[in-house]
Amino acid sequence: MLYRTAGQFKTSYKADQALFPVRQDAVLLAIILTFAWVIFPLTASEFAFQTLLIPIMIYALAAMGLNILTGYAGQLSLGTAAFMGVGAYACYKMITLMPWLNPVVAILLSGVFSAGIGVVFGIPSLRIKGFYLAIATLAAQFFLVWLFEKWSWLYNDNASGAIQVPNLEMFGTYIAGPQAASVTEYYVVLFVVSLLTLLCINLTRGTLGRTWKATRDMDIAAELIGINLMKSKLTAFAISSYIVGVAGALYVFMWKGAAEPNVFDIPLSFQVLFIAIIGGLGSILGNFLGAILIVGLPVILNLLPAAIGVQIDSAMVEHLNVMIIGSLIIFFLIVEPHGLAALWRLIREKLIIWPFPH
Amino acid sequence: MNKLVKLATATLIAGVTAGAAMAQELYTPNLSYRTGPFAATGIPLMNGQADYMTMLNERDGGIGGVPVNFEECETGYSTEKGVECYEKTKGAAIVTQPWSTGITLQVLPKTNVDQIPILAPGYGFSPMMDGKTFQWAFNMPSGYWDAADMIVQYLEGQGSLDGKKVAFLHLDHPYGKEPLPVLEAAAEAKGFELLPIPVGLNEMQNQASQWLQVRRERPDYVVMWGWGAMNAGAITEAVKTRFPMENFIGVWWAGHDADLRLVGEDGAGYKSISWSYPNQDAPAMKAVREYVTDKGMTKSNPEEMTGVFYGRGIVMSAILAEGISAAQAEYGTGEITASQLRWGLENIDFTQERIDELGLTGMVPPFATSCANHTGNSGGWMLEWDGEKFVKASDLLKPDTAGYADLVAAASGQYATENAPWEMNEACEG
Repeated sequence: MLYRTAGQFKTSYKADQALFPVRQDAVLLAIILTFAWVIFPLTASEFAFQTLLIPIMIYALAAMGLNILTGYAGQLSLGTAAFMGVGAYACYKMITLMPWLNPVVAILLSGVFSAGIGVVFGIPSLRIKGFYLAIATLAAQFFLVWLFEKWSWLYNDNASGAIQVPNLEMFGTYIAGPQAASVTEYYVVLFVVSLLTLLCINLTRGTLGRTWKATRDMDIAAELIGINLMKSKLTAFAISSYIVGVAGALYVFMWKGAAEPNVFDIPLSFQVLFIAIIGGLGSILGNFLGAILIVGLPVILNLLPAAIGVQIDSAMVEHLNVMIIGSLIIFFLIVEPHGLAALWRLIREKLIIWPFPH
Repeated sequence: MNKLVKLATATLIAGVTAGAAMAQELYTPNLSYRTGPFAATGIPLMNGQADYMTMLNERDGGIGGVPVNFEECETGYSTEKGVECYEKTKGAAIVTQPWSTGITLQVLPKTNVDQIPILAPGYGFSPMMDGKTFQWAFNMPSGYWDAADMIVQYLEGQGSLDGKKVAFLHLDHPYGKEPLPVLEAAAEAKGFELLPIPVGLNEMQNQASQWLQVRRERPDYVVMWGWGAMNAGAITEAVKTRFPMENFIGVWWAGHDADLRLVGEDGAGYKSISWSYPNQDAPAMKAVREYVTDKGMTKSNPEEMTGVFYGRGIVMSAILAEGISAAQAEYGTGEITASQLRWGLENIDFTQERIDELGLTGMVPPFATSCANHTGNSGGWMLEWDGEKFVKASDLLKPDTAGYADLVAAASGQYATENAPWEMNEACEG
């Protein structure tokens, strides 16, 4: 009923190819965007910004980058965290070497470095596939984290070996560093994430996206119909690493404020991979749903006992939390192996024909 | 659907943070880690801290008549959870106890804006000693640079260091790298060769290659900056490679009874510098047993309670309690604010008389903090494992802080420039 598409006639090809051909989708998106751009910034507390809104956005962006590579182009990667690290360190070096640089520009540029590194580590994908490629990207993971530790130029020979975000100004307000207000940081993150999401949606719908999907589904067939596999795989690595690198720069500059090399170790790669898998490989929406489940839900569950007045030890809550999130992941993957995005697609299809399923 | 969840959360959080500030109490949250890879070392410390505060609540009804709410927020030693806990508690908290060098580094610049004191007893960033620059951060009674200096002093006491070789086995992490500048300066001044051997976070449990290097290089001494699983790994490897244990010295976080109990007699002679000692006969320890243990209010167990780390937890809480009561006396109010507590922590005077009065005899050396000195540089004792427990193996060692005053000034100056605009406490003298 709510989702009835009857009567929405398309009279031109342009209308039929619009981003959201169903009017209700566009309305829903408008509501979500209003919440993200207007209502959350007005109502959210500092805690909500720092533990829910900002990290969910950043993790969703990182997962989106990985999804381009793994979900759309079918190249399995376990090096996401290392590429995030490249973005973060590149951004740190640019900011400290060129303090006059606009921080948002620096964040967007830092992805270029990770794209370059990503392409280099993507070259093996031309010869090896599947799990073997995963091992090759694992090498990137270990090598780059080692490099972050050993190459002291990267962290300006700081005695503690960590990078610290300085206070960065743009148009007279602090947008990063300890002096920055959470709401400003949130807007910067939201701007970058919205921009790159729009880019990704359009990329995956266009020629490049179709080339990737063909490569993913059957690379020999794709080659036979004239797709250049090298170009297809390397662009996927480049664009994926670019997005992941920008996410890494945001991760340190807009959220954590300081980072040591082992932050970018393999657990972060797995976390991003889980978000992408549980959200749904080969989907953009899924990344956001996955990030809400993996990043947001534990925070909310941690608050729950206190909110309903149950006295439990903090350590116990943490143990329960791990168990609940673990079982939810298993539950969702049994109910819908293709992730939360597929679950939403199913619900939406049912809604469109409801209440007359035949 | 997701927006509903988010909205519900926002209201939920607003409710929780508002509710926490209501009751009349001193809210001193602890960012504990009873889970995760470092839980084994975390639990006795957390238990010691919590039990001392419980004892004060039971015996005296809190501090100055106001009960202490020593709530724990579990981080599992993860910096992400640490930030979550910091944001969750900062609304009502009068102090934050970050409990990891990583979390301290992240929280340090924020406390200057949020104006909440960080209490990091014996850990964190060594230049925090400079109270003028780090006006909200405290790492009394001793910092890592003190520890490095005292270890060098002790080694010198065993004979001239000229021409000797000292291996520095450390965790390859901000924490492990912390004492390097002081050790490097000492190596140059005293003429010994310093050989840093890093242990990666992934190699903590398997240090075969590091100890192979020790065997090849044949250092006269091994100094260790280890934590968590790294300590047990290093100690068992040292026993296996038959390194003379009396030449093996750890920092205070590498002196955990359970790690040494693994090797028992074979570990006899291993040393650890420490600013705390678990004196079982101290009145405070007896009070904890009477008011907390006997009533079944502790999470600890008798074996753990005799250990060095549990005793250290007691001392940490005693320092915080002393800061609180100093602030209460100064401002004439029971319920102090975060900035009043900062004054209290800056004016702790742990004289020997005061230590005896608090019942901490022999558990902590005398020290005093000031506006300009947030560490206090208490010094410490060299503890030695006798095969069953740690015993004091030296008189009180005092760090020669003048030796690295320049380093402190340079490091804190650099920190302030990097984080500009950084508010300094100009009111401080000295």
